[in-house]
Amino acid sequence: MRILVVEDEPDLLASLAQALREEGYAVDTAANGADGLFNAEGTDYDAIVLDVMLPGMDGWEILKRLRKTKKTPVLMLTARDQTRDRVKGLDTGADDYVVKPFDLEEVFARLRAIIRRSANLTTNIIEIGDVQIDTAARHVFFKDKAVELTAREYALVEFMALHRGEVVTRTQLYEHLFDENESSLSNLLDVHVSNVRKKLGAEFIVTRRGHGYCIE
Amino acid sequence: MKILKSIKWRLQLWYGLILVVVLAGFGGTAYQLERNRQFRQIDEELHRRIGVLANALHRPPPRGQNAERPPQGLPPDGQDDNPPPMGDNPPERMPERPHNIFLNGRPPLEFHLPERDAHLFGASEAHGFYYIIFPRSGGKEIARSSNYPNHEITTTSVNSLRVVNVFSEFPARIAKPPQMFSFDDYRETGDVLPSGEQIWIGCSILPELKELHRTAVNLTLVGSLILVVGLAGGWWLVTRALNPINAISATAVKISAGDLSQRINVAEAESELGQLAAVLNSTFARLETAFAQQRQFAADAAHELRTPVSVILTQTQTALNRERDAESYKQTVEACQRAAQRMRKLIESLLELARFDAGQEVLKRLRLSFTKTISDSVEMVQTLAEERGVKIISKIAPLELTGDSERLAQVVTNLLANAIQYNQPGGEARVTLKSQDGLAVLEIADTGQGIAPEDLPRVFERFYRADQSRTGAGNAGLGLSICKAIVEAHGGTIEVASEKNRGTTFTVRLPLT
Repeated sequence: MRILVVEDEPDLLASLAQALREEGYAVDTAANGADGLFNAEGTDYDAIVLDVMLPGMDGWEILKRLRKTKKTPVLMLTARDQTRDRVKGLDTGADDYVVKPFDLEEVFARLRAIIRRSANLTTNIIEIGDVQIDTAARHVFFKDKAVELTAREYALVEFMALHRGEVVTRTQLYEHLFDENESSLSNLLDVHVSNVRKKLGAEFIVTRRGHGYCIE
Repeated sequence: MKILKSIKWRLQLWYGLILVVVLAGFGGTAYQLERNRQFRQIDEELHRRIGVLANALHRPPPRGQNAERPPQGLPPDGQDDNPPPMGDNPPERMPERPHNIFLNGRPPLEFHLPERDAHLFGASEAHGFYYIIFPRSGGKEIARSSNYPNHEITTTSVNSLRVVNVFSEFPARIAKPPQMFSFDDYRETGDVLPSGEQIWIGCSILPELKELHRTAVNLTLVGSLILVVGLAGGWWLVTRALNPINAISATAVKISAGDLSQRINVAEAESELGQLAAVLNSTFARLETAFAQQRQFAADAAHELRTPVSVILTQTQTALNRERDAESYKQTVEACQRAAQRMRKLIESLLELARFDAGQEVLKRLRLSFTKTISDSVEMVQTLAEERGVKIISKIAPLELTGDSERLAQVVTNLLANAIQYNQPGGEARVTLKSQDGLAVLEIADTGQGIAPEDLPRVFERFYRADQSRTGAGNAGLGLSICKAIVEAHGGTIEVASEKNRGTTFTVRLPLT
């Protein structure tokens, strides 16, 4: 899962990015509106955390422009908790909002929710054959036994599970599992895939030669 | 009792009462006048008939020739003087006068009503004039008209009995001048002739009473109508006059319930209440503005605090999520410290403004060299200017004024810092101090990109930041508000002028006294 955080307060941006990375997300950051919009338009993020009050271009404007091309789920961070501000945000195309000051737990939960909704799921539990994925607790069970996965392996499983039935290209996987600062070695993905197959069964992820991977 | 406390009802009651009294007075007087007029007419008729009756009384002639004579020979003065009408027999008059002669067995007077006067009496006439004549000595009457109501004595009617009683008592009691008596439907009077005979005459006043009754009914009807019209008109007038009061109180109720946007609908701006409503409206408008500013101020203050609190929350929550090395804890603590500093600065600014608002900020009033204050401030911001590559050019005249040097230095430093911060690299910040019209005029100009005209009037507003990109840690948009408060507390003014891409000039004017 790759997330963009747009926030002008450096300390807040840094801690948010760090916390989200520790949650297993690949995180890109932007400290002003223009950079934020550029990133958001150029990459398929799984979600965007967008502050409303930004220098240069405010959150509403970014959202308005972004919605012309992308359906990326957007979580707004707003310091104004008046109804009309929230209504304005939701009407402009935001998927949810969090009022400052917020708890990280709430931001995480709301992010999971908007990502889940964008994948047309209603609960945090995804069941695929003998594999059960709890996206809230970030646990994976195989034949009712908990399976230890690294953060990157879990992100791979979750992303594939949310796109169940689709062929996911290697490019897509790179885009969604690694952020812009990571030098992605091309065989790193193959390592993760083979590790997941070892833990969850060889047929869990099917390779489509020349196309990518798929969970059926 | 609640009704008596309403002005409307009290007014209504009052002029209702006054109207009733006035109408009753007029009606009563009109009725009384009409009654007097009617009775005077009747009384005149009665007196005329007494005269006629007195003329019809005459002494029987010594010889039997009285049948023709009395009607013709009766002098008009007979009732006043001698009842014997004999003009041709003066010697006979003399002995008649004394009572004793009269008492001494002289024949009683005879009564003969001439034919031409008969129509004056009797039931045929509407009033039914009747009469009875008693002899001087009392006892049986000399004559009585056929319609004399005494005929009804046989009936048990109380009216009739009273009539009889009154008549039967009068002969003994009556005295001159003749009195009028009204009882029941009758009006009567009597006269005692000089010769001692008593003539009683009466009539029914039923037509008059009916007429008076009609008059009374008419007067009552007209009076009631006037009263109803008056009360209705009064009600309308009072309602109309009090309507604005109702509107005012309804509006006031809504406002006290919290809806400050309510205004009184001023329909009649000219009336006293219209003026009151206008005054109240302007008060409400000022209240609303003050409340809105207060609300905005509180909302802005809360808003400004949200971001640093968010920083502290996310920083600490992230740090506590797992075990970390000393370096990352240190970073967290530093970030928290920055956020706390920012909050402290904000809170100090807010308190400062609140003190100025409440008039509690006590300024030192000392003679000071404004020149020195400015040069000190310039020195203070010199490092910042060098960092930004901004050149400070000062042209400061020596000036003294009375004020709080610390506060004035705060103003100068703040304006200078702005001039440096919002300048472009290689730009200039010009500081000019001169004396003009008894005022110290301080100008601080930058060569930055300027402020948009639409933002210019708002730069001194609290939390107002013309450009969001100017936001930085610790800049909550209160600096210029505080400058303005300080300058105004010194009795001075602060103004701003700006030209896009040319720069912004702040001008502070302070009294030199």
